[in-house]
Formats: sequence, C-alpha cells, structure tokens
Amino acid sequence: MAKQLAFYVDLNKCSGCKACQIACKDKSNLPVGVRWRRVFQYEGGEWINQNGQMIPSNVYAYSVSSACMHCAKPICMEVCPTSAISKRDDGIVLINADICIGCRYCSWACPYGAPQFNEELNVMTKCDMCHDLVDKGERPACVESCPYRAMDFGPLNELQAKYGTFADPAPLPDSNITEPAVVYKPNKVTKSSGNANGRLMNLEEL
Amino acid sequence: MDTREWALLAFTILGQTAAGLMIVLMIVRTYIAAKAGNDLADRLTNRPLYIVVPVMAVAFIASLFHLGSPLHIVRAVPNIGSSWLSREVVFAVIFMVFAALYTFLQWRKVGSLGLRIAIGWITVLLAAAYIYAMGMVYMITTQPAWNTIATPINFVIGSLLLGTLGMAAGLIAGGHKAEETNIVHTVLQALAIAAIVLLGIEFIVLPIFMAYLATQGGAALQSLNMMVGSYGVAFFFRLLLLFVGAGVLAAYLYRNASIAEKEKTLASLAYSAFALALVSEVLGRFIFYASHYRIGI
Ligand code: SF4
Ligand code: SF4
Repeated sequence: MAKQLAFYVDLNKCSGCKACQIACKDKSNLPVGVRWRRVFQYEGGEWINQNGQMIPSNVYAYSVSSACMHCAKPICMEVCPTSAISKRDDGIVLINADICIGCRYCSWACPYGAPQFNEELNVMTKCDMCHDLVDKGERPACVESCPYRAMDFGPLNELQAKYGTFADPAPLPDSNITEPAVVYKPNKVTKSSGNANGRLMNLEEL
Repeated sequence: MDTREWALLAFTILGQTAAGLMIVLMIVRTYIAAKAGNDLADRLTNRPLYIVVPVMAVAFIASLFHLGSPLHIVRAVPNIGSSWLSREVVFAVIFMVFAALYTFLQWRKVGSLGLRIAIGWITVLLAAAYIYAMGMVYMITTQPAWNTIATPINFVIGSLLLGTLGMAAGLIAGGHKAEETNIVHTVLQALAIAAIVLLGIEFIVLPIFMAYLATQGGAALQSLNMMVGSYGVAFFFRLLLLFVGAGVLAAYLYRNASIAEKEKTLASLAYSAFALALVSEVLGRFIFYASHYRIGI
C-alpha cells in the first residue's frame, strides 16, 4: 500500500473545545465562514417515563472533530472537471487554486463537507494537511494545538496499528463511500454512521 | 438560489433546448426529404436551425457566471477520464462546433448534399452525448435525490420536449407556401403526438421516482419533503404547465393542423406550447437544484 498520511482523534479525550478549528483558521488564514476543520457536537437519546417521572435514559453527547479526510477514494477528485484536485504520493489531497474554476462540483460530492468556497479568492479551498509543515517534518497545526492531546497524525497504517480502524462515528458518513484516511477512537457512547436518533447541536457553528 | 445557481439553470435549459432542437430537426428534415425532396427539407428546417448555435452560445455565456474563476479555464486540463462534468463541457463544445459547421454549410449551401446530411447526423450524435452527459453529472453517489436513473431520463425527456415544441414553433414561424401546407401540417401533427408521448413518459417516471425517494429515507426523504413541501407550489405549477403545454395545447395543435388555413391559430398554439414547456422545465430545474441533500456533513 502506498503511503497515506492520516489524522487520528480520540473521542474519549476530545472535549469539543474547538482549539483545533481555531488553530487551523489561524495557520491557514481562513476568512470568516470558511472552516477547514470543524467540530460536530452530536447528541441524542430519549427520556423514559417511569411512574410519571421523566428520568434520563440513554442520553448521550459527544464531539467529533473532522476535516478533509484525504481519502483513498477521493470523490472530490473524481468529479472535478479540471485537473485542480490531485493526490500526492504521501496521500495528501490538494486543490490547486490556480487551476480551480470554482464550479463547486466537489462540494456537492464530498460527504465530509471538506471543500469550502473562498469568496475572497473565488476558488474552492480545503484542508491541505498543512503540507508545508509536513514537508518540514512538523505536524499539522490542529494536531499540535489540541490541549487534551486528543489528536495524532502520521501514516495511516501506523495509526491503525496503534489505535484501531474505526472511521465511522456518527454524524460522519459511511466510510465505504470515500475510504477516508482517518482513525477515531470511540468513547463509550459513540454511535456509528447512519445512526438515526441523534442530531447536530451546533449547526450555526458549522 | 443565487446568481451562480441561476447561471447553471440557464446553461442546462438552454443547452437542452439547443441539443434537443438539433435532434428533432434532423429527424424532421429526413422525413420531409423523403416525402417532398431535399430542397424543401432544407428550406423548411433551415430557419429553426439558425437559432441552435446562438442559443448554445448564450448557454455558454450563462455558464461562466456559475464559475468562481472562469479565467482559470485556460489553465485547466479537462478531467474527462472520471468527471461527467468535464465530459458534459467537452461534448457541449464539440456539439456547438459541429452545429456551427452544419449551420454554415446549410446556409451557404456549401458541400454536397451527402456531406451536409452526414455532418448533420454527427451533430445529432454529439447532441445526444451532450444531453446524456448533462444528466450523468448529477449521478453523484452522495446525492441520493439525484443519483437515480430518473435524472438522466428527465434530462433526455426535457431536451426532446423542448426540441419537439421548439421545432413546431420554428417550423410555423419560418412560414411556408400554400402548396407546402400539407407537409408542414403533417409534421406539426407528428410533433404534437411526440410531445404528448414524452409528457406521458414524464408522468410515469415522476411518481415512480417520488415513491422511490420516499422508501429511501435519510437525505432522499429530506429532498422529497422539500420538493412537495417548501417547493410544493412550484412543483404543482411545473406539472400543470407541462400538462397544459405538452398535453392540452399539443392536442389542439394536432387537431388544428388537420384543418387548412389555420396558420395563425397553429402559430399561437405552437408558441404557447413551447413557452409553457420552457417555463415548466425552468421550474423543474429550479426545484431540482434547490431540493437536493447530500449524504454526510
Ligand atoms: S474528505 Fe472530501 S475533499 Fe477530502 S479527499 Fe475525501 S472526498 Fe475529497
Ligand atoms: S470547485 Fe474547483 S476543485 Fe472543486 S470541482 Fe470545481 S474546479 Fe474542481
């Protein structure tokens, strides 16, 4: 298997503080409204009625930090009408701003909402895995910023050997669609993709 | 919907009209040639032909308003290996080049009859490929309301409908001599029947498609709710206008075409049928773009 760099997030440690999201915006100088990394607050479950008293039952809440997954099957690259999207030898998927015509087709296709249109540059942009830092042997800004040390970064096979292969926490889509280069460590309430009874609680932040 | 999406809407509808018209036009041309000779066939079909390229040109101009950075196109290498959007654009361009060539040959009567007919049919094949690619653009696995066979079918039916009624309008608008009335009326009747058949197919596909969305749940169901909920009024008018244009008016067109000396009535019927179908297609495309939900986040 070719080299594939990937992100890791431990959902036990993530508190939903969004330091990663802010570090990303800062590092890549993103305008208002463009969030390459986003933290989804996901909640669900119901209360049960016991002798007229409502008692919390299987109520749960957790946060999922996600960005471009630099997928093994990048649907963005497949649908892009130009040669703007490419995958490097180390697996990083990049959009070339000089070639992108801003047709937004990739954002229709990517199930992770990763490509986001930059109204100032008039092109599509997305997480570039801080490839400039990576090329210098450093780690992406989000990974470094996490105060809980919930994130990690490295070759996918190494991360999988260390942390497992789970890549389907709800509200993220089924990982079969694009085979994302990501590993999540579930916590004890984490639901899987396709879970029907949960909802996003911070829509206005996404 | 913002400007960019209206631009996309204009590009697809105008492109469909131009390509659909080209296809129907060549069929009509072949029919008239067989019945009344090539000279008349050329004369009656050249007028509608002259609008194909201008309509396509406007479509291209509209498409630029959809793009964030249209100037980057000069640096962009098309990704025809895997992208249907790329294929759509490539087919659109080649279609327009051939349509322009055919129009020029017909206009100046350059080239032998055989050559002109061959170029005409090549243009038809390109038009068909273009329409097919246009529909396939929306077959994205993460867009359940688009990713059904109903999408390419709708694009094909829509194109043929606009082409059929556009041809009827173009044919009658071109004018004809008294001794040509018979053949013109026969063609108009055939076009009217074609429109009614296309309407019938559309009305069969649509309920099946909606029932399918309902059974899928998730993003597909959300789209369905959007279509009949928030856009319910637009959806109703889309169907109503389609029914009146391609059904009722087409039926009147058929009836009046059996009576001689009804040219004025026929013209009004053909124009309004085309206009209603066009508005209906615009509404339909508007709903199509406005009510899709992507899988995921
Ligand atoms: S997450 Fe989306 S944008 Fe990133 S590589 Fe996968 S499909 Fe492309
Ligand atoms: S917006 Fe840019 S990167 Fe995305 S599909 Fe269009 S050309 Fe490709």
